[in-house]
Amino acid sequence: MKIPGGGASSYPPYIHDWKTSAMASWICSLTLLPVVVWSTVLYGRAAAQVWAVALASSIVSEAIASGLSRRWTLGDGSAVLTGLLVATAMPPGVPLYVPAISAAFAVLIVKAAFGGLGANWMNPALAGVAFAYANWPAAMREYVLPRAVSGVDGVSAATPMAFAKGLASIDQGRVMDALRGASYPLSSMDSSVTGLLNDSIFSKLGARLPDGYVDLAIGFKPGTLGESALLAVLAGSIVLVCLRLIKPLIPAAMLVVFAILARAFGTGLPGEVFFGGDVLFALSSGSVMLTAFYMAADPVSSPVGRLPSLVYGAAIGALCFAFRRWGSFSEGVAYAVLVMNVIAPFMERTVAGLGARGRTREP
Amino acid sequence: MMRARGFKRGGVPVNQRVPFQTGPIENAFLPMNAVVLLKDTFTAVEPFPVVHVGQEVREGQLLAKSAGRGSSNVHSPIPGIVRRIDSVKTPGGFDSKAVLVSLEGSFSVLGKRPERYLWKSLNKADISHIVQEKGIVCVSNGEPLFEMIADRSSKPGFVMVISALETDPYRRTEEELLALRPEDVIDGCAIAARMALPARILLAVDEHIDATTVDRLRDIIVSSELDVSIQAFKRRFPQEMPRQIADALDIDDAGSLFVLEPSTLIALHEAVVANKPHIEQYVYIGGGSIKRPAILKARIGAPIGDLIEECGGFSGTPDTIVIGGPFRGRSAADLDASVTRTTRAVLALTAEETRSAPERPCVRCGDCVEICPEGLDPYSMLKLLRVGRNEEAGAIGLDRCTSCGVCAYACRSRIPLVRYFDDARRNEVRR
Ligand code: SF4
Ligand code: SF4
Repeated sequence: MKIPGGGASSYPPYIHDWKTSAMASWICSLTLLPVVVWSTVLYGRAAAQVWAVALASSIVSEAIASGLSRRWTLGDGSAVLTGLLVATAMPPGVPLYVPAISAAFAVLIVKAAFGGLGANWMNPALAGVAFAYANWPAAMREYVLPRAVSGVDGVSAATPMAFAKGLASIDQGRVMDALRGASYPLSSMDSSVTGLLNDSIFSKLGARLPDGYVDLAIGFKPGTLGESALLAVLAGSIVLVCLRLIKPLIPAAMLVVFAILARAFGTGLPGEVFFGGDVLFALSSGSVMLTAFYMAADPVSSPVGRLPSLVYGAAIGALCFAFRRWGSFSEGVAYAVLVMNVIAPFMERTVAGLGARGRTREP
Repeated sequence: MMRARGFKRGGVPVNQRVPFQTGPIENAFLPMNAVVLLKDTFTAVEPFPVVHVGQEVREGQLLAKSAGRGSSNVHSPIPGIVRRIDSVKTPGGFDSKAVLVSLEGSFSVLGKRPERYLWKSLNKADISHIVQEKGIVCVSNGEPLFEMIADRSSKPGFVMVISALETDPYRRTEEELLALRPEDVIDGCAIAARMALPARILLAVDEHIDATTVDRLRDIIVSSELDVSIQAFKRRFPQEMPRQIADALDIDDAGSLFVLEPSTLIALHEAVVANKPHIEQYVYIGGGSIKRPAILKARIGAPIGDLIEECGGFSGTPDTIVIGGPFRGRSAADLDASVTRTTRAVLALTAEETRSAPERPCVRCGDCVEICPEGLDPYSMLKLLRVGRNEEAGAIGLDRCTSCGVCAYACRSRIPLVRYFDDARRNEVRR
């Protein structure tokens, strides 16, 4: 008597967890959807074009790579995710060849040429972003003000971080107050929400929230497509962590180390005092959150194991701080992760080796 | 009720069990043809056939005689004529001699209600002889029960665990037996205890067992004058493996546990009390593709297809038919595979249940490391095995891997990790 279906898999276990690596990529991509929507609301067509071009380029590249290797891999979702992640690092005013070439570089060179999914020696999306920074540094700084702040599309402006770095001095590390002092644009939304928060919550706690943070959170400031949708990124990150699609220890370690260092030594702004750094400002600018949850915690290019993950995350946090403090801030986060990507395999071997040796001593 | 214990690391927690209709356990129909495998497991030693083709056999008549250690007597599950004796490929992948008996004639031993034999007047050697004679094997590992007990009694100070912990989210047999036949289970336990002389006895039950069953068990235990404590366990797989039971009990050496399940104890009880050979087996028939999941009391040698028919057949198209649990069972190539003394379940799983997907490269997610109940690093073991560094893989944990299957359950790239591990160890043995 034959089995109607034919009998599929040949080796136990015969039941599996719901997760598959393809589904993980697709869900990750889906969690970026709010980011896509929000940045498009902020920047209109300019943003939509960047997303579309990056996505199209990565999909075409993956199709080419599939054709060359005769293995159809578009279904695993990693190309789409890579395209989206490349786009998150682009400023809305960027010339469209930048996302196109960067995404193609990420998928064709970094991912496919090194053996496809799972064999990545660095996060393809980040490599694509770094590639863009290296080749078109000026184009990658084509920041514009969202129309909600300026009233019209395409008004160029510096990001708050870049602007703050250019100030003569910041009193007591109060970045927001200094920005206001130098009349950095502030949306009416920010003033009203901040006022409301101050009246209802902070005044009761004897505190005051300076103007400007709300703009940072909702993206009413010049920035990349990804960082302008901070709230959407945070929501997506929560989904990723709750579904256990990423290694939560990595972003946790990274953010804690980064925040402590930024608090202690500042982020390279003029007039900072010891332990007077503005952590909120540091965390909400330069795509720290997005990089932490979507790139640093990407399983493929990070080490396996709790201890290696913690060390890896902490090292990224420290590097990220160092690059920002003494280098150029916007690409600093990306480079921090890339450096650790390359080190990860060695680290996994040594750190895990130490752990394993400790374990084998048990009976 | 009591505080539930659980093993410390990893595992698959199952909050939602597959729904199951409880009720009396039905006797499956007698098979027209019983293909009796002489070897239940890969490691078992094949007994010698003592019948010849064309011979008429009674129900319960000896078909094959133990060939020494690791081998057990096999009896005919049905009355009939021996049609064939030849070698077949088992679902487990090994070869075994099989005796084909076609049903003919009438019930002799098992149709009647057995008389209750007062085994308490028997001495240890007598009981052991009966257990050996009747070919009772431990249903979870296929080893001859009298050998297991003899080995145990030579090393006193162990804990006997009556484990009603299930192997997977589907099966409910041990729990049901505990609820439906508590007297027989405890009586079997008393027989085993009389022979093996454990330091103490522990009844391991699921944390969600219903209170009336526990109360009833307590009463029976009291009147049996056995020293049995009841312990609840958290439902997390592989909860039923001796190492995990030991871990949950904070016992370092799993070797100091003697784990028996209610279905084995019932077979033991019936052998001693009713003189019945091990020719029946409680089989859970379930999975999303079975119309009416049930526990059947089936004769060994019965084709699994018959049992599925009795449960209403398939609803929809099954993706995989599994004999044994979904974590460590084997898929059936066809529905003629026959029930053995270690067939605890037959599952017809739908594609939604198996969630199989094409194998992809390892994405280094580390889920397998998190879930391994032995605290091993399957990810690194796989990496080493793939480049042929088997010895190092052994050193970092492969030697301690129990093939429990949960790492491969969790693997999002659907890498058959356990196959790699088993293959590597098999090669090791061969060398
Ligand atoms: S099969 Fe082995 S490696 Fe995998 S989870 Fe079980 S014990 Fe760990
Ligand atoms: S679960 Fe699978 S994909 Fe994840 S690390 Fe382990 S082997 Fe690799």
